[in-house]
Amino acid sequence: MLEIKNLNVTVEEKQILKNLNLNIGKGEVHAIMGPNGSGKSTIAHTLAGKPNYNVDSGEVNLNGEDLLSKDPYERSLNGLFLAFQYPIELPGVTNASYLKQIVNAHRKSRKETPIDAGEFLKILKEKSKLLDIPMDMHSRFVNAGFSGGEKKKNEVLQMDLLNPSLIIMDETDSGLDVDALKTTADAINKLRNDERSFIIITHYLRLLEYIEPDYVHVFQNGSVIETGDKTLASRIDQEGYS
Amino acid sequence: MKTLTPSIMELTDNFSIETNSMDLSISHEIINDELKLKITANYSQIPSRIKLISSNRSNFKIIADIYLNENATLEIIDENDYIIDTSFIFKSFLASRSVLELYRFNKFQSDTNNSFVHTCNMSNGSIFKDFNFTNGSDFTNNETKINLNEENAKYVGSGVVMSNSSKCENNLEIRHLSKSAVSDCSFKAVTRGSSNVSFKGKVFVDENCSNTQSNQISKGLLIDEESKINLTPILEINNDDVVCSHGAASGKADEEVLFYLASRGISKSEAERIYIQGFLSEFIEKIEDAEMQAKGQNFINENC
Ligand SMILES: Nc1ncnc2c1ncn2[C@@H]1O[C@H](COP(=O)(O)OP(=O)(O)OP(=O)(O)O)[C@@H](O)[C@H]1O
Ligand SMILES: [Mg+2]
Repeated sequence: MLEIKNLNVTVEEKQILKNLNLNIGKGEVHAIMGPNGSGKSTIAHTLAGKPNYNVDSGEVNLNGEDLLSKDPYERSLNGLFLAFQYPIELPGVTNASYLKQIVNAHRKSRKETPIDAGEFLKILKEKSKLLDIPMDMHSRFVNAGFSGGEKKKNEVLQMDLLNPSLIIMDETDSGLDVDALKTTADAINKLRNDERSFIIITHYLRLLEYIEPDYVHVFQNGSVIETGDKTLASRIDQEGYS
Repeated sequence: MKTLTPSIMELTDNFSIETNSMDLSISHEIINDELKLKITANYSQIPSRIKLISSNRSNFKIIADIYLNENATLEIIDENDYIIDTSFIFKSFLASRSVLELYRFNKFQSDTNNSFVHTCNMSNGSIFKDFNFTNGSDFTNNETKINLNEENAKYVGSGVVMSNSSKCENNLEIRHLSKSAVSDCSFKAVTRGSSNVSFKGKVFVDENCSNTQSNQISKGLLIDEESKINLTPILEINNDDVVCSHGAASGKADEEVLFYLASRGISKSEAERIYIQGFLSEFIEKIEDAEMQAKGQNFINENC
């Protein structure tokens, strides 16, 4: 599904990713753990195509296609979804209108007609309920003045609405309270299936106790230094990285 | 509430007025190709409404004197798309507690010249709501001068310029000449295609004007590299008892926001459109009248 080969990435003239290799199969859940500043968000941003993230060398294939030559929006339309570590605020646009527009962008690329207003509202209610998101949040401007946890839930809601095949979650658990973490993890587990793969970037074992990963990678200084199963996460939780 | 069927008055082969009200008197004459209008609004239960309708046959100049008697409410709406040169000179006089609402939603053809000059004199407790949406043309000039002559007069105004290869100059002068008056104005411009937009917002507060409130905000969004936006706030405040907030800023679209939208499958041009809509919608909420707010939103949606 996703193959990253010898990836080297420079941001602002500083090399961050160093010869990174990672393979993710269909339906697999991979966790990435690693110290602050080791380059975890940089992988996420590079895969999503953030401007000024310069790929010096290496290859990335998603579902057999070259990912890096595609525009960021095409990557999303091709099934990639990044839940941001720091979701962006979009003043002046209500969350409901924004969510509808992103859903319609995906429908349009599949040559489907725009979603019917009533049907959208029904889906929005259903999926918001799953995440314990109050409906009045959708009449506010996108992420503007949302609490840290509300922003993260809104990311998961978008992930659910867009039906992606590869999901990258960058510290989605940071900022969620204990109950919200459980609700959100339950919602994410509902999205797990044989076709859909996950990269979960996290600092905490707790999320991985709810969403059991198939593999855990330890990231340091721009590349993977160790790979194991979920017991590796417990070891890091107890012993740290040093 | 009683309703009135609108009636249409043809003034010239170029210009008609649609009105809903019998509490209005309108007279006109044509001197040297200029249409001179005199409009007087009286108090009525249903607010008086005037729609300006242009047949776009030839260039025109209109000079209008507008009188609002005590407690009168008058809405003036101009939603013409103009393909000719236009020149409006409005002089309005608002008696105590009268309310003037002026809504302009105008698309101008690019090779035209358009000018709108308005001087408004406001009495005790009168309100003027002034909203202007335009796309600009080869040359568009908006000049508004507000005299808050008496206590508790209130001016609320907003300008939106969505410019594409056009030039648009905006001058707003607000003079607080009596105490306890309020002025609140915002200006927003979005430019594309080597446009040039300027806004000069002058606020003058006279010595004896205690308890004055004045807000002014102007913001510019540059979509292409070649466009220019010039925002110049000028403040002259001669009294200490004034609550004032003023700001001006212009810049490009935030790349982080555009990337966020892209990461959700939104193409660059569509992302810019959403961004512009968001940028301008801050303004929209100032229009209290739901019908007019919808017209403003529509103008933004159609032109970005
Ligand atoms: N735009 C930038 N300019 C300069 N340096 C940057 C930029 N973006 C990231 N970096 C640097 O790249 C390194 C990796 O950052 P990254 O955000 O990928 O770390 P991370 O592993 O996600 O950390 P955290 O756990 O704190 O989220 C850091 O040293 C960071 O300062
Ligand atoms: Mg990070």
